[in-house]
Amino acid sequence: MNRLQHIRGHMLADKNMNIATTLPSPLTTHVLNAAQGVPGANMTISLHRLNPISSEWYLLTTGITDDDGRCPGLITKESFIAGVYKMHFETGKYWDALGETCFYPYVEVIFTISDPSQKYHVPLLLSRFSYSTYRGS
Amino acid sequence: MGSSAKSSSPITTHVLNTGDGVPAARVALSLHRLDPRMAIWSLITIGNTNEDGRCPGLITRDAFTPGLYKIRFETGQYWESLGQSSFYPYVEIVFTISDADQSCHVPLLVSRYSYSTYRGS
Repeated sequence: MNRLQHIRGHMLADKNMNIATTLPSPLTTHVLNAAQGVPGANMTISLHRLNPISSEWYLLTTGITDDDGRCPGLITKESFIAGVYKMHFETGKYWDALGETCFYPYVEVIFTISDPSQKYHVPLLLSRFSYSTYRGS
Repeated sequence: MGSSAKSSSPITTHVLNTGDGVPAARVALSLHRLDPRMAIWSLITIGNTNEDGRCPGLITRDAFTPGLYKIRFETGQYWESLGQSSFYPYVEIVFTISDADQSCHVPLLVSRYSYSTYRGS
């Protein structure tokens, strides 16, 4: 049975399932521990959207990266409107759990979504003393 | 601020435009320190990068105490001045200074769709 058939089977079996949860988030992230060459697992992250009228950040989602350094289900297609977003990564706590210090207590990446019909990938490549990010696919 | 203070700022930065392979000149930036009691950011300095992408005189040795610091780079404005859009309206780098006897270099390598930073010397 291929993956699509597997998912379809679940959906037909449970009519109460929220179909939106099976659709991939249009915004994804991936945390890589570049120093050790492993995914950045068990890192707490949060997604926020800027309210352009009040200039305040509105918390949309909090999550923890899985063993692959990913965090599925960040946002639904319906909630993904154009605007300025912020991804907050708890990098200090991540390295602390590994028994190490980190130059960055947290990392925030602020980015602009102008076309919410596209997919956006906002990864974080991280070590104790450096990090990088890019717009991926 | 005297030139001796500028040359000895214990926090330095260097902004590079990696998209075009040039220093990022005239990028507005600001340095802030977190007030631990009130949990708010205090503005220390506002400046612009020079033709070499550097901004001397960010902070004096006397003012350089341990704590959390933040540099905010107005990269969106920079790309706009070049007639281009960017994925990031601005970049903020938050870092911890535990030993105020050392100097700390916080460069920013930036393109329209990526950026990186590291703790340098």
